[in-house]
Amino acid sequence: MSAVPPPWIDPGVRLIEADTHLGWPDIAAAADALEATFRRESGMATVGIATVEGDRASTVAAALIAAERANVPLFLKRHGPNPGAPVAEDATPAMPGFAVLLETSGTTGAPKRARHGFDRLRGRLRGAPDPDARWLLTFEPASFAGLQVILTALASGGTLVSVPGGGAAELAQAALRHAVTHVSATPSFWRAFLMALGNAGPPLASVTLGGEAVDQPLLDRLAARFPGAKLRHIYASTEAGALFAVTDGRAGFPASWLETGVDGVALRLCDGVLEVRSPRAMTGYAGPGGGAPDADGWLSTGDVVEVRGDRALFAGRLDGRVNVGGVKVSPEAVEQRLLGVPDVQDALVRAAANPITGHILTATVVPAPGVTEADVRAAVREAIADLPPAARPRVITLADHIPLGSAGKKTREGAA
Amino acid sequence: MTQTMLALIAEELARIAADKGETLPPVGPDTRFLGGDLPIDSLDLATLLVVLEQRTGQDPFRAGFIQFTTVGELAALYRLDAPTGAA
Repeated sequence: MSAVPPPWIDPGVRLIEADTHLGWPDIAAAADALEATFRRESGMATVGIATVEGDRASTVAAALIAAERANVPLFLKRHGPNPGAPVAEDATPAMPGFAVLLETSGTTGAPKRARHGFDRLRGRLRGAPDPDARWLLTFEPASFAGLQVILTALASGGTLVSVPGGGAAELAQAALRHAVTHVSATPSFWRAFLMALGNAGPPLASVTLGGEAVDQPLLDRLAARFPGAKLRHIYASTEAGALFAVTDGRAGFPASWLETGVDGVALRLCDGVLEVRSPRAMTGYAGPGGGAPDADGWLSTGDVVEVRGDRALFAGRLDGRVNVGGVKVSPEAVEQRLLGVPDVQDALVRAAANPITGHILTATVVPAPGVTEADVRAAVREAIADLPPAARPRVITLADHIPLGSAGKKTREGAA
Repeated sequence: MTQTMLALIAEELARIAADKGETLPPVGPDTRFLGGDLPIDSLDLATLLVVLEQRTGQDPFRAGFIQFTTVGELAALYRLDAPTGAA
């Protein structure tokens, strides 16, 4: 067995998955077994893609090692709400050689598969050894953010604590039991995590937020709750990956960065939409999302930004998508789906601001003539059953008409 | 009036749990929402807050997140005796 770890793993690393403790020898043994499987399978296909269930950090780590050694693309399947749903290929043709394919969190329709070069996945990670760090994995292991945390922990030689399939309550218990020091999570997760912790608190040294816009009350709460921790929020875009970190404890980012840039990334506003030019993003353009830079390398993020005083603040998405608990969903797309239900005469789907999940979708539905309330509710329920939970309207109100705004359009905006 | 609010929260929690095919254990002021006491997740809790806003006409979170962990702490954020819409 090949016991020499790749350069991106410190052999001192420990993985705690629920109650199972794993070290480098365990990961190496799993990697050896997977490598043999990958080599055998790839010999039978033109472009063999190695596929594993990416539901455990240890499996993901072993599969990365094995796929790199076998030099094959690795597809990490994700335990979404529809495990059996077909996954659409992205536009990138299948290419041989080691790369990581991830399922993007599909909001409506089939999830997509996006290809990431391993160097790009590791691009922003600082490889400082930190054997005392105890990370909590709050993201799905097979997500982009989850991989960042796993790779950081593997390189640090510290400990990675995870609870496969666990929610905020289980992760809060694990965080306390194993005294985690580093947590990176979405703002929605942090709100639920704080609630689940109650009055107890792990000894956090590092508090990181990302994946959706951060509000000031949450930052203030975290600063008060974990006064010794380094508090930062990360701004990333689908096309360009992680772009910059804000560490001053305030929501948004300094407006002066629109002039000076930050950390090698140039920023500007175009009709209120944030555009970025990043040397790190150049390799990512073939990736998911279909975003393409202009001739000068500027890429639109689709994020609307308002400048107030010395601060640039995020004010939603240009395409109307909203963040529900870290998942980007499109009220329009869900509304189109409801309008396709025969029992539904008209429908309006709105995003209401929500203190727990950032936003939540609600629907107003006008039943077709002669359709009972019970029947239209059942039809709507069936029509949204295969959407991810975050994309389902959670509160459905019946009405006899949809009120129109002064422009004759449905007023979709919820109370801000 | 907090008793009324507790009953309202319990009623709506039961409805949300029933939609998922779950049965709600007894709910009291000290029941924690996301600490493992109840068969709900954060999306269910978000739903509860939308329904409570519809039923009381109040949104205690308009200015931002207020920390709460238990049913009693949430109930105390609503003023059922206030006229609808006035805060």
